[in-house]
Amino acid sequence: PQKHEFYVDMTCEGCSGAVTRVLNKLDVKFDIDLPNKKVFIESDKDADELLETLKKTGKTVNYIGPK
Amino acid sequence: MAQTTVNSVKVAVEGMTCGSCVQNIEQHIGELPGVFHIQVSLELKQAAVVFDSSMQSPESLAEAIEDMGFESSLPD
Repeated sequence: PQKHEFYVDMTCEGCSGAVTRVLNKLDVKFDIDLPNKKVFIESDKDADELLETLKKTGKTVNYIGPK
Repeated sequence: MAQTTVNSVKVAVEGMTCGSCVQNIEQHIGELPGVFHIQVSLELKQAAVVFDSSMQSPESLAEAIEDMGFESSLPD
């Protein structure tokens, strides 16, 4: 599976919690770096689908690139 | 002119910890079609939404909040 890196404008625990719940619904492997506002996702899904999912949280999301 | 029936619901919202979550929900849910007004309270952990019940329903609003990654439940 491909590893992707995203910038997600998370400011607090609640925000990273929301991202965690949204990604849990997708059952992808991920980890969240709150201080640096980064989300790393390992999945076979393409970046666009992951981007759309992250955007559902209502936060600013940018796709940085494959890791 | 379609007869708009205005309704309001208080949705319990779990998982908010700061003002930016509140703002985020108010802005995002506030933009949904048929939502007239939304007031999110961090202390009460709830979102009071005034909406056009021909376009939205308590369930659709709760689901929209769940989509954002928060846990929502309707008053029984």
